[in-house]
Amino acid sequence: MVRGARPESDESGERKDQLFELPPELAIDTDVARRVMVGFIRNQLRQAGFGRALLGLSGGIDSALVAYLVAEAIGPESMLCLLLPYRTSSRESVEHARLVVDNLACASDIVDISQIVDGYFGRDRELGAGGAAVREAPPLRRGNFMARARMLVLYDVSVVWGGLVVGTGNKTESLIGYSTLFGDSACAFNPIGDLYKSQVRQVAAAIGVPEEIIRKAPSADLWPGQTDEVEAGFTYPELDRLLFWMIDKRRTDDELLSMGFAPAAIARVKHMVAVSEFKRQVPPVAKLGPRTTGVDYLYPRRRPGSARP
Amino acid sequence: MQPLRIALAQLAPRLGVLEDNLASHRQVIEAARKGGAGLLVFPELGLTGYQLQDLAAEVAMRADDPRLLGLAADAADMSVVVSFVEEAADHRLFISAALLEDGAVRFIHRKLFLPTYGLFDERRFFGPGDLLRAVDSRLGVRLGLAVCEDFWHLAVPETLALDGAQILINVSSSPGRDLAAIHEVGLGTAASWRTLMRTYAQLTTSFVVFCNRVGMDETISFWGGSEVISPSGEAVFTAPLFDEGLYFVDIELGDVRRERIGLPLLRDERPELHLRELRRILAERTEMAIDEASEAPAETEPS
Repeated sequence: MVRGARPESDESGERKDQLFELPPELAIDTDVARRVMVGFIRNQLRQAGFGRALLGLSGGIDSALVAYLVAEAIGPESMLCLLLPYRTSSRESVEHARLVVDNLACASDIVDISQIVDGYFGRDRELGAGGAAVREAPPLRRGNFMARARMLVLYDVSVVWGGLVVGTGNKTESLIGYSTLFGDSACAFNPIGDLYKSQVRQVAAAIGVPEEIIRKAPSADLWPGQTDEVEAGFTYPELDRLLFWMIDKRRTDDELLSMGFAPAAIARVKHMVAVSEFKRQVPPVAKLGPRTTGVDYLYPRRRPGSARP
Repeated sequence: MQPLRIALAQLAPRLGVLEDNLASHRQVIEAARKGGAGLLVFPELGLTGYQLQDLAAEVAMRADDPRLLGLAADAADMSVVVSFVEEAADHRLFISAALLEDGAVRFIHRKLFLPTYGLFDERRFFGPGDLLRAVDSRLGVRLGLAVCEDFWHLAVPETLALDGAQILINVSSSPGRDLAAIHEVGLGTAASWRTLMRTYAQLTTSFVVFCNRVGMDETISFWGGSEVISPSGEAVFTAPLFDEGLYFVDIELGDVRRERIGLPLLRDERPELHLRELRRILAERTEMAIDEASEAPAETEPS
């Protein structure tokens, strides 16, 4: 029996609505996962010499889960949630973010990034700093810019708050490259980056993230009605299962086919993973000297003396 | 034989901070003495932390390092197993486990198998040990020391038992991973280790003492779950997962004799058969005559 996902029988013996679909092979022990992630957050902060943290709260499940984990790790009094809406962001996103803040009773602030974004792309008839050339920029460019504007605000506020920026990207989006380089993926550390979306849902349910946040369709909220699953052309359970067998369990294409995955889906996901490799790695440095960082100068990131005094 | 009190120091070492770890070892030695322990076991690289990379050379100690001898002096009338980065006279680095007794370093086991796959990169930074021997102890029985990955190779517990060990001690820094819910304890690593240790205890009819660290180095978390397994393969004690602590376990050394009389597996082992066939296998692999093959360098041996 898979914990968290399958409906519990209520007193009448009838099964309640399923909160979300969890492929059985992706089921994890949420107690162990929670314990490891909470320990990770504490450890990363302690070793860096910080007692506080902050994160951008979108109203979605990933950042909601991270907020709950950070609150468990260091207490709500030591965390700050930043709401960073753009003028077209859905009202529901802001409401759900506020719900998380209220439940956790943590500090929060709201910074509307519209002026930053419009200041570059322009608005209505007024040109922005980017001039006429960027006026007709497609939604993808605008979305990437918004993600980076949020990063700018988070990192600036982090100085005043005196905390580290906690990452909120999950494994599924990282593997298919559904993230903005130096935007939403920018962080000091990420506790949920090795959890598939289905597993994020599982831990979120176990830790008490509100049901409406778990139930709603995941969205980057770059334009009204946008959803991840429509954009990607897969449902998360399908995508997670395919990634899990392809990557974690090293199944070959033939084996994936015989498991029932569609050839087009396999080809498409493999392509997405390969072309986004650069997003998951530190930018390469040309090897010139006798010792090069990341090649033959290999130190733990958190080494003696590395913590802020 | 009298009962033996074993103390398992399931600690979370600080990565690369030798002085802090030495201090915590001294405190734990004192606490174990007060608790009446005869044998105290610390985890793999308890004095240095695990994910050292290039820090390894900076925290390395010689076997006669005064800091190590200081711990030995503190250990005094206990048998204490500590683990550290050992620098040999020729400056090779090893992951070592030392048996401290009567104020001296009585024995050092250098980790034989250095995992360099998956999340492991040990062979880049360390050399493998060359000796696998049981050692007499002040406890009145021979001990067999092994470090973590050493226990993922069947020959290690077998050889130690044949060399007379009655207590097999494995010190580990085992990173927890694979959280699939199908596992007995929600952690694939822990489930595998438990299977191994029970099997070794039963097949060698020896006690198995496993001390695994907790805490985190960088991105990896160590799961603890230290154990003592009886010669009949049952867990006498299992420490909690992830909790730091000093755990005391009482065992009856007489259980080894009882088990070995009733189940004389060690008596019936056929090491000469094993050796003969190993020689043949080596010769076939290397296409050499049998005598040549047995002298072949380590690289050509099965690993």
